[in-house]
Amino acid sequence: MELTIINLLKQVPLPSEMRMGDDGLMDRTKAKSIINIDCQFALEAGLQLKKKYPKARLLVCSMGPTSFKKSLQKALSLGYDEAYLLSDRKLGGSDTFATGLALATLLQHLGFTKENPKPFIVLAGRQTSDGDTAHVPSQVAANLGIVQATFVEKIHFDDDNQLIAKRIIEGGYQQMQLPLPCVISLTPTGIPLRKPSLAATINARKKNIHILKVDDISLSTEYMGVRGSPTIVAKVKDMLSERPPIQMMQGKNAKEKVDNLITALSKQTQHNRLEKVEIQEKAKHSDFPIKDIRGEYKGILTWAEVVEGKISRSSIELLGVARQLALQLDKDTTITTLLIGNKVKHLSEDLIAYGSDEVVVVEDERLKEYQILPFTSVFRQWIQDNKPEIVLFAATTSGRELAPRIAVYTKSGITADCTALEIGSYVNRKEEVVIYPILHSHRPTYGESKLATILGFKFPQFSTARPGTFEIPTKDSKRQGEVVDFEPIWDKEDFCVRLLQTFRDDSSLQNLFDAEVIVAGGRGVVDDNLQLIKELVKLLQQKGIKAEWAATRVVVDGGMAEYARQIGQTGKTVRPKLYIAVGISGAIQHIAGMKEAEKIIAIDQNPKAPIFHYADFGIVGAYRDTIPELMEQIDKFISVF
Amino acid sequence: MNDINTVHTDVLIIGGGPAGLATAIHLANLLRENSQSRRIMVLDKGKSIGSHILSGALIKPDIFKQLFKDKDFNQIPFDSKVSKDRIVLLGKKGKIKLPFPIPYMRNKGNYSASLGELCRYMAAVAEEKGVEVYSGFSVNEVLYENSKIVGAKTIDTGVDREGNPMENYQEGTKVYADVVVFAEGVRGTLSQEIIKKYNLNNNKNEQMYSLGCKELWSVPTGNIQEGEVYHTMGYPLSMREFGGGFIYGLKDNKVALGLVVGLDYGDPTFDVHHAFQVWKTHAFVHRIIQGGKLLEYGAKTLPEAGLYAIPKLSVDHALIVGDSAGFLTIPALKGIHLAVHSAMLAAETIQQALLKNDFSDSLLSSYEKKVYQSKIYKEMYPVRNVRQAFANGLIMGGIQFAFQFISGGRGLRGRVYTPKDSQSTQKMENFKGKTFQQRFGKQLDFDKQLTFDKSTDVYYSGTQHDEYQVPHLHVKDKNSFNAINIKQYGAPCQHFCPAEVYEIYTHKNGEQELRIHFENCVHCKTCDIKSVNEAIAWRLPNGDNGPDHQYM
Repeated sequence: MELTIINLLKQVPLPSEMRMGDDGLMDRTKAKSIINIDCQFALEAGLQLKKKYPKARLLVCSMGPTSFKKSLQKALSLGYDEAYLLSDRKLGGSDTFATGLALATLLQHLGFTKENPKPFIVLAGRQTSDGDTAHVPSQVAANLGIVQATFVEKIHFDDDNQLIAKRIIEGGYQQMQLPLPCVISLTPTGIPLRKPSLAATINARKKNIHILKVDDISLSTEYMGVRGSPTIVAKVKDMLSERPPIQMMQGKNAKEKVDNLITALSKQTQHNRLEKVEIQEKAKHSDFPIKDIRGEYKGILTWAEVVEGKISRSSIELLGVARQLALQLDKDTTITTLLIGNKVKHLSEDLIAYGSDEVVVVEDERLKEYQILPFTSVFRQWIQDNKPEIVLFAATTSGRELAPRIAVYTKSGITADCTALEIGSYVNRKEEVVIYPILHSHRPTYGESKLATILGFKFPQFSTARPGTFEIPTKDSKRQGEVVDFEPIWDKEDFCVRLLQTFRDDSSLQNLFDAEVIVAGGRGVVDDNLQLIKELVKLLQQKGIKAEWAATRVVVDGGMAEYARQIGQTGKTVRPKLYIAVGISGAIQHIAGMKEAEKIIAIDQNPKAPIFHYADFGIVGAYRDTIPELMEQIDKFISVF
Repeated sequence: MNDINTVHTDVLIIGGGPAGLATAIHLANLLRENSQSRRIMVLDKGKSIGSHILSGALIKPDIFKQLFKDKDFNQIPFDSKVSKDRIVLLGKKGKIKLPFPIPYMRNKGNYSASLGELCRYMAAVAEEKGVEVYSGFSVNEVLYENSKIVGAKTIDTGVDREGNPMENYQEGTKVYADVVVFAEGVRGTLSQEIIKKYNLNNNKNEQMYSLGCKELWSVPTGNIQEGEVYHTMGYPLSMREFGGGFIYGLKDNKVALGLVVGLDYGDPTFDVHHAFQVWKTHAFVHRIIQGGKLLEYGAKTLPEAGLYAIPKLSVDHALIVGDSAGFLTIPALKGIHLAVHSAMLAAETIQQALLKNDFSDSLLSSYEKKVYQSKIYKEMYPVRNVRQAFANGLIMGGIQFAFQFISGGRGLRGRVYTPKDSQSTQKMENFKGKTFQQRFGKQLDFDKQLTFDKSTDVYYSGTQHDEYQVPHLHVKDKNSFNAINIKQYGAPCQHFCPAEVYEIYTHKNGEQELRIHFENCVHCKTCDIKSVNEAIAWRLPNGDNGPDHQYM
């Protein structure tokens, strides 16, 4: 097969340096940059494909300042053949929509259009560490009009040269077969990046990095840079740390450290929770006249994600925040929920009980599981006909790929993974008006260290909401609402992806949500198959504590724990009284699932592990010494937490 | 030979420190002067050039004027010119300034520098002259054909801890060259291999080493002026330890300070890092760093045995330059200018070899002849026995040093032999006197303001190692290690390692076990040198692993 593999990469500041305070340790002008971690995994995925097709052409593309050449050079030294950098001042300040469009235009300029008869595959990292939106791969795919799969862990070509992707979903994974061309975004849990070889590095120095300007690729100026972006960052503020600084347990051996832990726990008082983002006043005082720019757009649309025949919890949370927004908007604002699936109509009642005013039902036997293309079609058609002002999705693996793809078609901006949403105003000093009402989407960024407020001026306004952040609204079974059937017109390509297998293990282990103590194991505890962790939990259970064990994605992928035990972005989000993280380095995806725990104890060999940034108590040491010591002192331990 | 993982060059230089880069620069100059055009390749294992470089450093600048003859001297990024030069004898409480300067220790006209910064400059100059410099590549294998050196190979990466290839396996690159220059620095792993294979240290003294721990601080204005240089003797070292401290005032209110201790000490519990921390609490040192903050940490060994421990410097197709050969003088504690000088002499020889297309030892050995006719010899000969003299302790050493000074280097005996550093450690039961712990007791509780434990210091070295690779620290025989190094000697590795790589874990049943945290390693190689029976081998980890020094 005459395959071309195109990698989209972004250069980002080293995450550890982003966190560093103003201690003068690092000269920020020299702040080091790396290839975004997820992008590194995507690079490796491309190299793996080349193993099967040694003649495949490997391209790497990026957009950014010329300093990005360093990362492109690195990609070349890994074995990529050609590098292209779209670098133009006019692109500065582009949001994800503008970025997706620019990159897609670059690819089209290079000949990679849907119509190109030669097969190609676009690989990208799932999300960047400085933006965390995960939008761009979807937006590139939408702009090229080709199919996509995001949150993919592994890809390979089977014996019939069909591309098979393993896509991560909540509580499991899906195997799917995709046609070419397509866009794939890779999670950082796949095959880690190889080191460059000297021979390839030497060759890479001889290669040219092609630098292109916007004029070279005929990019439309309408959607370029800060002025052409549908969203703006209205405000960025530092996030208050939710926890007091970690207390590291000192001691010459495990016993002393555990003794100190017990002492520290007994002294610990309830910590102060982060105050919620304060809701702003309705319209800022300003002398300028108020301008409503919504035009005919009105009402709120949400998506009811159906998993295993049930509405997912995060979609119900969405109805709560939608209601709050509706109350801040015009009195007659309605909440419409799209319910798509096979035999799902009966779920409408629940949606209405939780706050939907109208449920739009699309039923098709082919839609038992979520699929990007048909679901996008439904939303496109409904939005075109009904023009909602706000569209909300839960920021699940599906919501985070579906929303940006749909938003490309409406040319809207989109804000990812919000933790607070409210209606506010925007003072446009240039035009001397106050734009009101407008959706203020608040989202953590820069590794959860900053809270950014994003505003979009194109309607509908799209946001995805972080699961587990918003409360479930009160259920009122007497509420009245309308249920309407909707029959979309399917495109012939809507069902071009074949779902081969869906594996989900979410039925059991609901008790993880109720556990008082969760002991979770990561990569650092795999040598004994988590045996010690299980023993500790068993002991706690014998002592009458509601305890349960859990694991990180790596451990689950390694087959040492069921998917249902996975904590993190693609696993469960838990809030136990005490969370003991053992041998867990603290990848942000895991932190997302446990940072709401009341108290966190981290035990790890590596004093530099990021987990210690998030914990209340830390023990640096081997788990095989610490856990037995903890078990020996279990009664004392139980009495203090 | 058309394998994609094979590369050919005329000259391969292993190591991008001052010696390797000086070889490259001078050779490039000579080739240009003779209208020759050849490929010169420098490989370094550090993340970038300078990442693995650590030195005091005080530099005699003259040789750089020759090396950079086409450059403006002011462009060379030295830090500051020595403006004040003092030697101070520290007692437990007070200090005595030595009334007389010690010969060979005068630093007038010398410059302080970050050697890493200097190497980055050298690399840029080399590249400007067409030299190819690649960092981030560990060269861990010498390639031989018919038992002659034909090149070297970079490490295979993407393997698990047992060395089995994983999905991201990447085979190393074979680099074939007419001449291979070994410029790996102190105790170069491949240099050691060829010295052994070709018996290059036949009838030579054993190399002796010191370990230096260094910190770079930022201090309040007024604590020290740039160009101020202090060397300390005495506290906290006893008469049985050879060594001393250094404090160099740098520009921008930075100060480089460190403690260097000879590894021929006997106390199995002696800890150079901890001694360094205790030294910082002495009022004389404390006042200089008071109110400041730690910027960087690192540790490195120095070859100190001098002239008689320099191996034969060439074989067919290969030369050894710089610290890998042991070009350093005691008591001046300077080797950079000698390393550069040796490199330039090597370059002259290589240029001749390339011209005549003769890479046999009969031609390459003219490098060694040049060394012994050069200023290197003139500088090293009079102090050829100094370090060995001090092996008997400071008092006897002082007397012998004084005698040698008068006699022009002749010892009380003609040539003074010493054992290997790995042989000088005493068994726990044989060691008489206070152990290191007993000597300093509570002073070893570090406050993390002025004094730091090893793991905190390691953090400031920027060290990292790939999780998946064969651990680069290898215990040759576990049983004998347990029986001898742990049981009889009390596992000195847990003390001498300045980076907390070695942990002795005692199980509940009393059984002791060595745990190796190779990810902490700062690449000083003390374990390779000092372990009893040389029980630990330091091997090359993946490229771009190890410390990431910025201004050391």
